[in-house]
Amino acid sequence: MLPVSKFSKPLWFVSMTLVYMFLYAPVCVLVLYSFNKGGFPDIWRGFSLQWYDSLFDSVAIWRAFKHSAIVGLTSSFLSVAMALLWVHGARRYKHDVTAIFYSNAMIFDIVLAVGLLALFSYLSIPFGLTTIIAGHTLLGLGFTIPVIKSRYDELDESLIEASLDLGASTQYTFFNVIIPFLYPALLSAFLLAMIVSFDDFLIAFFCSGASVQTLSLYIFSMIRSGITPMVNALSALLLLGSLSMVMIMLMLQRNVLRK
Amino acid sequence: MIKELFNKEKSFFFMTPALVWQVVFFMLPLLFVLQLAFFSKLFQNFTLDYIEQVFSFPHFLVIFRSLKLASVTAVLCLLIGYPVAYFLALYVEERYKSLLLFLIMLPFLTNILVQIYAWYFILEKKGVLNKFLLFFFSIDPGNWLNTSIAMYVVMFHIYLPFMIMPLYTILEKMNVRLIEASLDLGASYIQTFFRVVLPLSLQGIKTGFFLVYVTTFGEYVIPSLLGGQKHFFVGTLISEYFFIGRDWHVGAAFTCLSITVFVLSILFYSKLLQRLVLRLQRI
Repeated sequence: MLPVSKFSKPLWFVSMTLVYMFLYAPVCVLVLYSFNKGGFPDIWRGFSLQWYDSLFDSVAIWRAFKHSAIVGLTSSFLSVAMALLWVHGARRYKHDVTAIFYSNAMIFDIVLAVGLLALFSYLSIPFGLTTIIAGHTLLGLGFTIPVIKSRYDELDESLIEASLDLGASTQYTFFNVIIPFLYPALLSAFLLAMIVSFDDFLIAFFCSGASVQTLSLYIFSMIRSGITPMVNALSALLLLGSLSMVMIMLMLQRNVLRK
Repeated sequence: MIKELFNKEKSFFFMTPALVWQVVFFMLPLLFVLQLAFFSKLFQNFTLDYIEQVFSFPHFLVIFRSLKLASVTAVLCLLIGYPVAYFLALYVEERYKSLLLFLIMLPFLTNILVQIYAWYFILEKKGVLNKFLLFFFSIDPGNWLNTSIAMYVVMFHIYLPFMIMPLYTILEKMNVRLIEASLDLGASYIQTFFRVVLPLSLQGIKTGFFLVYVTTFGEYVIPSLLGGQKHFFVGTLISEYFFIGRDWHVGAAFTCLSITVFVLSILFYSKLLQRLVLRLQRI
């Protein structure tokens, strides 16, 4: 840490505060207005939970949430499982064969989304949850593989040797030595894949057909059709959800570091 | 023994699922886009008609509009993001650091649609900003939505964390003694910054710049919700071709054309950034 001169200290302080305010002001206003008694064009009319009530009564939102949950859980599970196997298998290669997955997170989504749309319709696979899951699993691989790989690289090979020397089968070693060692990375990779899947809009937009809606698609259509504080309430809950997921992820990392 | 666990056939077997997934759902779709642009039937009847169709002034205008959007966003993010990352990495006390970093990372992990909705809510004609302006200054600036200002502000807001994170990572790793040595040996703060800090952080600048540049170029949601219907951007035009026009071949040809122009622009920027950092050393 470098010392800050007396002159520049208040300057830094003010400008940093402005940046953080800019980053958080919109979300704060959004959450505040989800507790507003009045409807949208109204100014603050007092505290109420009515928009949360109507949120829980809305069938469409629950359905969208269910779809998002199914897609998120399935695609995260698939991508973590495949990433684990990949990293385990790729360990023996000297070259960084994992590099082929790095592009998944870098390419602009719309090209991939368009390609998936063309592929699925050529193979006449019906659009729906399965097609979204396929796309999200692919997106997830780009994030889960690096996370799991960086943990696997820390694994001491003598642990495996010891286990094998003491008579454990390779299978037993895999499930009782390697998996427990990787456990925190597996969990945070899973959460990361969940976040990616919940956040994604484009893949879902192109691969859903008109039949199913995820939460992102639902919010998109709500913005198009006009504002209602119900969406504020939904957004507030989503923010709470991702906040808690990030907290869990950070706690996992901290525990690993402490050990 | 260890060889048994990692023998070749077995490890290939472990790698198959991810590899198959990658080939089927990543490489094949991209190949399909390419195929649509150049063949009128599936890998038959090679034709350059579709490419010719998109090789026109309006299409290039759309591409340049997207290039401008991506460039302005990336430059704005760099200009504001660099001081923030610099301050976080080198000047903040250790105990506040993790909280401040966490606050930068958080918007990055929340749903983008939620953030856009928040801006929509504020910038609407009868939204919070106009209410505020009317109440305190009694002016009514009208509709903010569907203006390019709104779009740039939101783009900047959403992509700022993408810039700060890689810059922070590289600045954090920097050896502080180099800065101290430079100051001790009589260089001014400005000289130290341009001759020591900036060249050492070139890799972070490039990573952050291209992370923002690549993701904003294909951006669909923000232009379509906040940019108004008047102007097309690359993302919105592609989806227009695929969903509304139903002209997949031309859409795919346009996708290929915009990617080509885009890759060229990346090469250009990569050179430019390097030159710029070298030039600034002379200050």
